[in-house]
Amino acid sequence: MDSFIETFHIDWKIIIAQAINFVVVLFILQYLALKPLKKLMKERSERIEGGLNDAVKNAEILKSTKAEYDEVIAKARQEAHTIFQDGKKEAEEKKKEMLASASLEVENMIVNGKKVLESEKNKMIEEAKTEIVSLVVKATEKLLETHKDESFDKKALEEIKKIS
Amino acid sequence: MSTEIPTNELSANNEITHESTLFAEPIFHIGDFTVTNALFTSWIVVFILITLAVVIKSKLKKVPRGIQNIFEIVIEGAESLCDQVTNSRAITNKAFPIVFTVFIIVLFNNWIGIFPLGGFGLVEMGEHGKMFIPLIRSGTADINGTLPLAIMSVIGANIFGIISIGLWKTINKYVNLSALGSIFTKIKKDPMILMTAPIMFAVGILELVGEFAKVASLSFRLFGNVFAGEVLLASMGAIMAYLLPTPFLLLEVMVGVIQAFIFAILTLVYYTISSTDHEEHDEAKDHGNKGELKEAH
Repeated sequence: MDSFIETFHIDWKIIIAQAINFVVVLFILQYLALKPLKKLMKERSERIEGGLNDAVKNAEILKSTKAEYDEVIAKARQEAHTIFQDGKKEAEEKKKEMLASASLEVENMIVNGKKVLESEKNKMIEEAKTEIVSLVVKATEKLLETHKDESFDKKALEEIKKIS
Repeated sequence: MSTEIPTNELSANNEITHESTLFAEPIFHIGDFTVTNALFTSWIVVFILITLAVVIKSKLKKVPRGIQNIFEIVIEGAESLCDQVTNSRAITNKAFPIVFTVFIIVLFNNWIGIFPLGGFGLVEMGEHGKMFIPLIRSGTADINGTLPLAIMSVIGANIFGIISIGLWKTINKYVNLSALGSIFTKIKKDPMILMTAPIMFAVGILELVGEFAKVASLSFRLFGNVFAGEVLLASMGAIMAYLLPTPFLLLEVMVGVIQAFIFAILTLVYYTISSTDHEEHDEAKDHGNKGELKEAH
């Protein structure tokens, strides 16, 4: 052992000095370089990972939003179509209804017209009758004025009264 | 054990020689404390690494630029490499600062040792005349430099083991008291325990010896390789200065990286082994095997 120590000049003081060198470098490298650098790298990789996750999430959100949008659009189209169809149907019905009411009105008007015409006609006939009677009376009176015969007058007057 | 290489001949009688010694040469004293060229180089390395750490700290930005990019790539690469050894990010996170520091210290020591600054040094009178003592000698080309690193790696691994799997299990790895105790608890159920328990206890003692072997292998492997590289470069320089050492210099740059890598990876392996509970691991393996057998039946 002594010869070994002598051959290699093993000196415990130098061994301790070299050990201190190592410990000093270890602590300085750890606290000035490795730790901050690793912290920075970890933060960066976490940020990148977070960004990638966010991108995936955003893509998913975009996808779902697009699907939702498509669904809403399809629904709106369908609704619009339904509304249009309903409107069309309703308009058809209204049209039919209006046509029916119009034709009914026309019919009523015709009926009323006919009635009015009938009454007018009757009225005219009545008036004509009255006028004819008065004309006959007047004509008869004029005729009687020319033929002054009391018995005849009485007879004629009675006859006329019967007729009128 | 030394190789004598004449570096500069001023005159026939006044020859300055350089010996590549196994030990680091003293260059100055601070009181009783002798500062060797290897320790001096280690201090330079410490200064460089502290400067580097301060520069990194001051240049840190959320969006990396320039030097920060390089450090981030190095750290990310090193961490993924560590993950391959540990198979666990938790162990990597705990062991990484120590392993990375070991790697950086060894690498910079290896490289600064072969940096062509060999011309700077002291000329002192030795036993065989004037001797050239270089100011720069790799900190890892001195056993006093590699031994503390190896000791700290092995002790650190055991401390890590105590933190990870507990004191009792770590002690039982070396002095297997639970194996001896199992003789009394399991002898009725399994008489073979009388044979296996002492063997397990002996294996534990071997593990303890193995810890010292780890220190020796780590420290001497690094020291041997780096020292051999420096001797090789000096020898090649003595044969033909400048031209001949150049390819070997490039080779030594590679050796410096490889040795630093080996030292760091072995340290990490020791950390991983010490943080693994072998009993649980074996039990899980047994259960797995039984399951497989059942399935086979």
